[in-house]
Amino acid sequence: MQIFLILLGVLALITILMYNSLIGKKNQVDNIFAGVDAVLKKRFDLIPNLVASVSQYMEHEKSTLEKVTEYRAQAMKPGISDEAKIALDAKLTTALGAINIAMEAYPDLKANENVMHLQRSLNEIEEQISAARRAYNQAVTDLNNAIEMFPTNLIAGWMNLQRRAVFEIHVTERQNVDVGALFNK
Amino acid sequence: MKSVSELTDFYYKELYPSLNELETNRKQIVSHLKWYGSMGVVIFIIVALWMVKNFGLFHPLMIGVAIGFIAIASIAYRSMTSGYAKDFKAKIITPMIGAIDPHLLYNPDFMISQHLFERSDLFKHSIDRYSGNDYVKGSIEGVPLEFSDVHAEYQTRDSKGRTQWHTLFRGLFLVAEFNKHFKAKTIILPDQAEKSFGSLIGGWLQSINFTREGIIRLDDPEFEKHFVVYGSDPIEARYILTHSMMKRILDFQRRVSHPLFVSFVHNHIHVGIGTGKDLFEPAVFTSLLDYKQAMEYVNTLQNTIGLVEELKLNEKLWSKS
Repeated sequence: MQIFLILLGVLALITILMYNSLIGKKNQVDNIFAGVDAVLKKRFDLIPNLVASVSQYMEHEKSTLEKVTEYRAQAMKPGISDEAKIALDAKLTTALGAINIAMEAYPDLKANENVMHLQRSLNEIEEQISAARRAYNQAVTDLNNAIEMFPTNLIAGWMNLQRRAVFEIHVTERQNVDVGALFNK
Repeated sequence: MKSVSELTDFYYKELYPSLNELETNRKQIVSHLKWYGSMGVVIFIIVALWMVKNFGLFHPLMIGVAIGFIAIASIAYRSMTSGYAKDFKAKIITPMIGAIDPHLLYNPDFMISQHLFERSDLFKHSIDRYSGNDYVKGSIEGVPLEFSDVHAEYQTRDSKGRTQWHTLFRGLFLVAEFNKHFKAKTIILPDQAEKSFGSLIGGWLQSINFTREGIIRLDDPEFEKHFVVYGSDPIEARYILTHSMMKRILDFQRRVSHPLFVSFVHNHIHVGIGTGKDLFEPAVFTSLLDYKQAMEYVNTLQNTIGLVEELKLNEKLWSKS
């Protein structure tokens, strides 16, 4: 009888520990997503400025600029899901990258102090976003591992925890890796 | 900033007169040491023989006499070589640092403050004795930095009440301004646990380290194999440790081949290289003109000061001006 009670106690303890670690991991993901959200918002705040200052120069990229504005508007909508936000962020990154490259063709733009300042702040925010994305991906991987691995998967199933999506690098972003810049960094 | 070969040239060409002078000095000291050394040995043997005859071989007094001889010998050695070490620092190390950058200040007797050493948060143990020398301060490519030799120790008492000294850190310690703003602490330590226990148990041991804030797992497997990272903010840790930064730290680790401790605190980078010895001290029994010896001085200086360029601390982001 005593052995049975001890076993039951140990089992309960293990269950509690696993339950708490899962909750901890889930909260970590949410917590880091809040951090991601904060830097994404920083970028959203800069976009109208950028679009306003470059649109008069960039005649041929009107559609890209419109797209950027549209993505921003979508992402700023209240009640948007995390997955949708992640997808929009990927699109926005691609569009901003395209603008970045297109700007090379406009010497007037490159001489504009204001635009260059915006560009540099966007670059810095881009670095912060990249850091936040990596942190988020690690937290999500930890959570997803716990959800799928034995024995935590049993409790995760009972808690009804769902796998989360990680930030993926867009296909075009993967192709456009500038090897020279990578080595010089 | 001069390259290693330029510095080696400088060492052999510009410093040649001083080197020669010091070299004659060194030879004289060595011959003195040999003479007094053999005299000491002879006296010791005579005293020992006399004592064996009168008290027997295993008398406690024998140990006392042996310890006394060793103490006298080390004091004599130090007093005979200290002047030489001073000359060496004034005539060789000072001009070499000046050659690397004329704006660098060098003080052979000063050290990095204990406050900065403790601020780095690299070593959790309290420090009971703190010493150091060979302090360099200045700025390289607009990046303020300072470094020195540091020896930090702590004290314990065994069951018999005897005090014992343990080295917490001995080696080169550098503090430089970092090119990004950050608020949290990020600590990078050599990965002992994962190396000795494998990734599974080692990783678990690291994660339950109660003296440290949360463990941060990074997405560079090679970096993870060599280091363990603790920090209070996982996003900021990755903002500092970009993929290229991790690669640069790994490259640096490969070149120095001593335990490397790095921390990012208070907008500064703190680097400890656990060489386990006092650097920039002249070797009395090796010739100053010896190539290997010269390269050691040159390389140590070049590696330390070159860290600014190596970690690209001089590439400022626009917001840090």
